[in-house]
Amino acid sequence: MKINRRNFLSYGTALVLGGAAGSMLTPAPWKLMDDLAIWTQNWPWTPVPEDGPVSYKPSVCTLCPGGCGINVRLTGGRPVKIEGLRDYPVNNGSLCPMGFAGLQYLYNPARVISPLKREGKRGEGKWTPVSWDEAIAAVTQKLADLRAAGRPESVACITGSDHGAMDAFVSRFMTAYGSPNYIRSATAMDAMEQAIDLTQGQQGTPVFDIENADFILSFGAGLLEGWGSAGRMLNLFGNQKSAKKLIQIEPRLSDTAARATQWIAIHPGAEGALALGLAHVIIKESLYNKYFVDNFAFGFSDWVDETGRAREGFATWVKAYGPEKVSGLTGITPEKIMSLARDFAHAGKPIAISGRGNDDLPGSMDETLAIHFLNALVGNINKTGGVSALPETDYAKWPEINIDETASKGLQQARIDGAGGDEFPNTRFLINRLPGILLAAGESPIQALLVTDANPLYALADAENTKKAFDRIPFIVSFASFMDETAAFADYILPNHTHLERLQVVPATAGVARQIIGLAKPVVKPVYDTRHIGDTFINMAGALGGFVAQAFPWKNYEAFLTESMGNQWEELNQKGRIEIDHSLPDPMAFAFNTTSAKFEFYPTARSTKRQAGDSALPTFTPVPIEGDPNRFKLTLIPYDAMRLAGGDIANVPFLTKILDDTVLKKQTGFVEINPATAKKLGFKEGDSAKLATPKGEAMVRVHLFEGIMPDVIAMPRGLGHTAYSDYLSGKGTNVNALMGSVEDPTSGLDMAWGIRASLTRA
Amino acid sequence: MSSTNLNKAVSPEAGPDATPQAHDSASSKSSGWAVFTFFMIGFVGSLLAGWILFPELLYSQKNQPIDFNHAVHLDAVTDGCDSCHYFREDGSFSGMPDLAACEDCHQEAMTDNPEEVKFVEEYVTPGIEVPWLNHSKQPDCVFFSHAAHVQGADMSCASCHGDIGTSEHTRVYEENRITGYSRDIWGQSISRLGKPGPGDPRPMKMNDCAECHEDETGHKGACFQCHK
Amino acid sequence: MKEKHSNTPAKRYGMIIDLDKCTGCGACMVGCYAENNIPFKPDETNKLDSINWIRVFKLTNHKPYPETEICYLPMPCMQCDGVGKHGHSPCVSVCPAVATDYNYDTGIISQIYTRCFGCRYCMAACPYHARKFNWWDPVWPADMEKYLSPNVSPRMRGVVEKCSFCFHRYQLAREKAYMEKRTDLAEGEYQTACADACPTKAITFGDLNNKDHAVYKLKNSPNAFRLLERLETNPKVYYLTTKKWVRKAGDNYLAHEEPETLKTRIKEHH
Repeated sequence: MKINRRNFLSYGTALVLGGAAGSMLTPAPWKLMDDLAIWTQNWPWTPVPEDGPVSYKPSVCTLCPGGCGINVRLTGGRPVKIEGLRDYPVNNGSLCPMGFAGLQYLYNPARVISPLKREGKRGEGKWTPVSWDEAIAAVTQKLADLRAAGRPESVACITGSDHGAMDAFVSRFMTAYGSPNYIRSATAMDAMEQAIDLTQGQQGTPVFDIENADFILSFGAGLLEGWGSAGRMLNLFGNQKSAKKLIQIEPRLSDTAARATQWIAIHPGAEGALALGLAHVIIKESLYNKYFVDNFAFGFSDWVDETGRAREGFATWVKAYGPEKVSGLTGITPEKIMSLARDFAHAGKPIAISGRGNDDLPGSMDETLAIHFLNALVGNINKTGGVSALPETDYAKWPEINIDETASKGLQQARIDGAGGDEFPNTRFLINRLPGILLAAGESPIQALLVTDANPLYALADAENTKKAFDRIPFIVSFASFMDETAAFADYILPNHTHLERLQVVPATAGVARQIIGLAKPVVKPVYDTRHIGDTFINMAGALGGFVAQAFPWKNYEAFLTESMGNQWEELNQKGRIEIDHSLPDPMAFAFNTTSAKFEFYPTARSTKRQAGDSALPTFTPVPIEGDPNRFKLTLIPYDAMRLAGGDIANVPFLTKILDDTVLKKQTGFVEINPATAKKLGFKEGDSAKLATPKGEAMVRVHLFEGIMPDVIAMPRGLGHTAYSDYLSGKGTNVNALMGSVEDPTSGLDMAWGIRASLTRA
Repeated sequence: MSSTNLNKAVSPEAGPDATPQAHDSASSKSSGWAVFTFFMIGFVGSLLAGWILFPELLYSQKNQPIDFNHAVHLDAVTDGCDSCHYFREDGSFSGMPDLAACEDCHQEAMTDNPEEVKFVEEYVTPGIEVPWLNHSKQPDCVFFSHAAHVQGADMSCASCHGDIGTSEHTRVYEENRITGYSRDIWGQSISRLGKPGPGDPRPMKMNDCAECHEDETGHKGACFQCHK
Repeated sequence: MKEKHSNTPAKRYGMIIDLDKCTGCGACMVGCYAENNIPFKPDETNKLDSINWIRVFKLTNHKPYPETEICYLPMPCMQCDGVGKHGHSPCVSVCPAVATDYNYDTGIISQIYTRCFGCRYCMAACPYHARKFNWWDPVWPADMEKYLSPNVSPRMRGVVEKCSFCFHRYQLAREKAYMEKRTDLAEGEYQTACADACPTKAITFGDLNNKDHAVYKLKNSPNAFRLLERLETNPKVYYLTTKKWVRKAGDNYLAHEEPETLKTRIKEHH
């Protein structure tokens, strides 16, 4: 048999066919088919999560100051899910979406994974990773130099919140070092704290006992949108046993307004007028709590001061705010004002809450006082279901602090922000004044800035200006866990652990009648080369030596906690929390710490230097928001949304994912506009537009929403980041950047609630 | 295409039985027998390849990192298989014990058995988990509840895993080169014909699960019963 | 497997969502993402390709300011029982691969990703847009793979996924029950992640066939309704609302039709 070209084909074919036929009778093709199917189902790039024993670690969420209990589920030591801690007295198992998304803060592309030193220009994004020793040496060198030059006061520290042991720790560092310039980020609590201090002489955290109140009059507070402790508020709303009336007063149908018993639409900025109008009705109709007002209040009726001058009491003062007039200012009918006043006064436990949205902006002192007076009129001060101030609990025993001469001199200097000075004697922190002060001075009064848990370059109004101002500070150190706008602008970043990696004592702040001190425990070993901020400060103090080092005698932050908390540490560590019953002053014998020892309707301690009419009584003067009404025909108001982290912490991918496509579409954010206004301006749903305010411009799209007042437009806080990662950066517009800050004449706090704006075709 | 047709194509005039008359020499013509022979070569060759060579090629052979003696351990423990392969309180099954469990006894070598010494030196002392090769490992899409079978249906370990508990040495681990899973899943028999021996592990393909479920419970079960 | 199991009484797990309690916070969505290894992309604003097992929609009554009202509507998979409650849900009926199936033990519609070949017939069939397609392989940046849960298999490109009523939680609860030699589960033992996550307790989950479960009573509330009831898909997700306009938004009504009359018609039909 000879094989040639021709028969090769037939033999070959026979061979192949034979092979094919034979193989059909073997397992090979069938087995291969099955194996290939399995192969296609198990791509190497599709992760296979590792299994293991399931355990839970209870802790406290510190993403915001709310202090909700969390329960972290671990699989084989790996945290895989965060859930609400059921028996935690703050939130009873309820949690906000940010809390649920907590693991995306632990693992996040925007995390700073080692200490960084700036290379190239500020904010350029060029960094060199450095060792912790090098980073701490560089920062302390700068701090030591400033001390040596006798200028410790030129070091400032901006922090996110001053509640809790960590903040006290940082503030102690500033004291030992010798600088009075410890500055807290702005919140609505600034104004509320001051109102309580002025009228009741109590320093502390304002507490609204919503648990026990039955009629809540909210002047725009985003009670269901992240106000206070979001977990607590949502839990209270869902708890049917405590049926409450919620009256929400604001110019936009917010999620809180939508779920309120009643939404009262008001002209933006007129909340103070309404409060005075309500007070007028309550007083005129004698609906106020006479026992309280007659026995424990000062300045209600007309009085004569020590110089013999006759002064108007609050009762006379509010006569100027009759329902007709207030109706004109607020857009609410006189009948509604009167019935609201009556409902409020007749309720068992009514409570009035000031502060728009999510506590982010302080607001005007006049307005805050006027609203707080409603609580006083019904006598709901310092009792369950009312308003009180929680004193800073001394749960940590701090060793005595000694300071050297340099520090002592530094501490005597006036604060850079002017808080507590001649002009604003009642205010503790005035971060909003920093940009102006920095830009006005010849040489920056801040030579070194430390930033912890705060992101002023995003949160402060008028971003361009703020950036220019901060650029005048020669040395900026950020302790951020994430590459936020301020960290991106810093010279050194000494990254802190995230909330799941660090030990922290967390007092539940706003609103719980008893104080709950929780312990946030690390649920996982640090994932990256980061360091607990407490340890970093101990390291820095140690390197500075002398009295500064002596003020921090502990090996690390944990040692500080165990030593300073003494007997309580054991309980805290075991139970995860300590509950301290906050003893309210005797309700039958209200004693206030004011000059008159009474609740002061006329707050004598209030600075009247810049107040028109030389009276400390709250008046209603519209806040002069920026912009020429002829050029900017609309009013822009920011709003807070539960799905957007708007303050010092930013959205993670899960939170941005749940945003509606009428809030963000691709990289463009939306403004809410009333259909009538949209029609007038010629806009349809989804149209692109140019939004302009006196502070800047942005490209936006319009979302038609009947729930926003005509001629007012609204934009959420929390978008428009320029830092962080691709999952957040460049999405939407930072509404803070378009806002202008307006100084309150008596407190210096930012009282802007909006800005004039225009919307034109793109 | 058959050889006849091929010839037809070459000589269209030829009758069905006629020998092709073309100028081709006889030796160059493809003979029916030769074609058949080639067919059979292919046929038999692929049979041999499919039945003998294919399984050899499909599976790579691996040894367990330590030659583990189940029998010795089973004698030494009090609670049978449960001593090391236990259920957790939440009903989940611990599976292969981790190093910490082994360390309860083997902090130091208890004997001079070279495998134990190796285990202590290479894994216990440096604290490295033993990379055991799991004969029963299933893809991620599979949810298998040991509790349902052992606690719920009172099945013994051996009814699926065979007599592994009394083995003195580890078996060679045959890994499917395509899927990465053990040969045991498909079953030792490449044809999946016949039943495994009494002490052999049972195959663990989905059909095997379904078959047993059909026999024992009267239905194959729903998708979500075993998938996640 | 199309026959009914005989050894255990059939359960019909269902959900009652009180729309008057929903604040639209989105915790259910995030709780679900974290529980079920739901992927995310840098841009999730195209909601057609954004994978959600539960999505909260915002409804408006479109009345002029200030008469406007809004309502949030969370939508998981409706776990339809189909006409006559025989398990012929729209999606199961069309799947050519038996990748999605009706579980007669629980009434839950399964979705097996490794079985699915991505034809998306089920997506076309589902009147509730409960199903989402993986147009891309998921990417978990920055070590995020480390937080993935082993209870739910991560999906790959080219397959459809949807809400499973957290079936793995049912499985895990059953494992515990087996350990304790029980065959039945208590109401609280098996809860979906969204029901667990809801901070206002707007979502109630349980066995619609079990008189002792809260859902049993709630589903018969005069305020209860289901979405697109006229399609007779027989969803096991019910909604509660006192607001008529919200109920009306749950189906397409002609001018003269009212939800109340419709309900009677459906009831009479069965």
